[in-house]
Amino acid sequence: MSENKTENNPEIIGFACSFCTFKASEMAGSLRMKYPDGVKLIQVPCSSRVDPAFVIKAIFEGADGVFVAGCHPGDCHFIKGNYFTRRKIAALKEMFDAFSMKDKLRLFWVSAAEARRFVEKVTGMHNEIKEKKNAG
Amino acid sequence: MQGKQVDKSNIENALNQFLKDEQHLVLGFEKGKDGVNHGIFKKHVDKYSLLNPMFGINGALYFRRLFSKGTGIILMLRPCEIRAYNELVKLNQIEREDIIAVSIDCPGTVSLKQETDDIPAEVLQTAEYMQSSGKMRWACEVCREKRGVAGDAGIRIDKKGIFWAFSYTEKGETFLSLIEGDVKEAPAEMLISENKESGKFSTDMDEFSKDFSKCIMCKNCRDMCPVCYCIDCVFNGDEYLPKGDALINKIFRTGSSVMPQGKELFHMIRMFHVSQSCVGCGACEEACPQGIPLTKYFKGISERLQGMFSYMSGRSIDEEIPYLTFLEDELKDAED
Repeated sequence: MSENKTENNPEIIGFACSFCTFKASEMAGSLRMKYPDGVKLIQVPCSSRVDPAFVIKAIFEGADGVFVAGCHPGDCHFIKGNYFTRRKIAALKEMFDAFSMKDKLRLFWVSAAEARRFVEKVTGMHNEIKEKKNAG
Repeated sequence: MQGKQVDKSNIENALNQFLKDEQHLVLGFEKGKDGVNHGIFKKHVDKYSLLNPMFGINGALYFRRLFSKGTGIILMLRPCEIRAYNELVKLNQIEREDIIAVSIDCPGTVSLKQETDDIPAEVLQTAEYMQSSGKMRWACEVCREKRGVAGDAGIRIDKKGIFWAFSYTEKGETFLSLIEGDVKEAPAEMLISENKESGKFSTDMDEFSKDFSKCIMCKNCRDMCPVCYCIDCVFNGDEYLPKGDALINKIFRTGSSVMPQGKELFHMIRMFHVSQSCVGCGACEEACPQGIPLTKYFKGISERLQGMFSYMSGRSIDEEIPYLTFLEDELKDAED
């Protein structure tokens, strides 16, 4: 039974910058917007706090997908943190591509005001992974 | 290109002259009873060997946390070792003020695990031997930069087997001035040319698990990697290894029934961590007691990831490591 449950609902770990994406998720909550249960957010002080090791660890310990979300480039609270994120995560994606598992990692830019965009992005990712999981 | 024609005695004389100063050292290759090894020379060079056709460890391993102000050191090493030295300088692991790094053309090397008694001493024959005997290490076969063009100065071999010394920086000029003879025009064509970039590396997790199923997590690959320099590695201790709930989670969620030992985690995290600095020397594979083809993965991935930023590890000391810098206007398609 438990197998059936995990089959249908992928688990997604999201690293969310506390200044924008996490605020957006809070706003989505206060606006009563719904996003899938399987999405678990981890609050980080800046998206550049996310060491690619965290992402790899999450994936190899059972997460079906991981996303890293931060402020739009140029809007970082710490001025240039998310430029480093962009380089690191883009390289990590390239590495995952080489291992034919590119679909497991995503990078989003979501500002504090974009609750709708956050819900759309997360739901879209959840649905895609769910489809792939149930098909294969 | 302008350089000095040199031979073995010429170079030894130059090194001896440099070593007249009490505070000077030369790090190079020493002929011993059982083959050629890394050696450090003080006062004079003895049993010196310019080339080392055997690869045991990467010499840059000795330079980690080398703060040598006041001690002049000449490094006479292979290109892969000098490239690793360049990376360590960029990572603030070496103070380079008094170090002159000289890279010497490398015709290729044979693994120390192999029988190495029949390697000829003469350089052209060595090159021929490497090409024809099939004993050359795979890492050397696909090595992108076997030319001595990294560092402050370089010693190159021309088609006739004659050695030429070139300088690339001011410190290189100091080295060149130690050598007798005049500067003249060197032939354009050298024995060792640049290797072509191999195609985009691509694999999948099945192949990866198959290759790494033999891994016993001894972490020798990490310890012998010249650019894996962290004092406090995240894999010291079991913080990063799956245990407790994570173990059960892994079995139920990934559908794999293999006992999770954290092999993928260890190798993938290390692979990403060294991706921009990996020089592809293959020291990890040499150190592996299980004979896992580590070079294939580490070199493949690092070449791909360096290619994204048109970077090549150790090529130049002025290029910044891509993860430590950024451009505002780049990677527009990074976001999904």
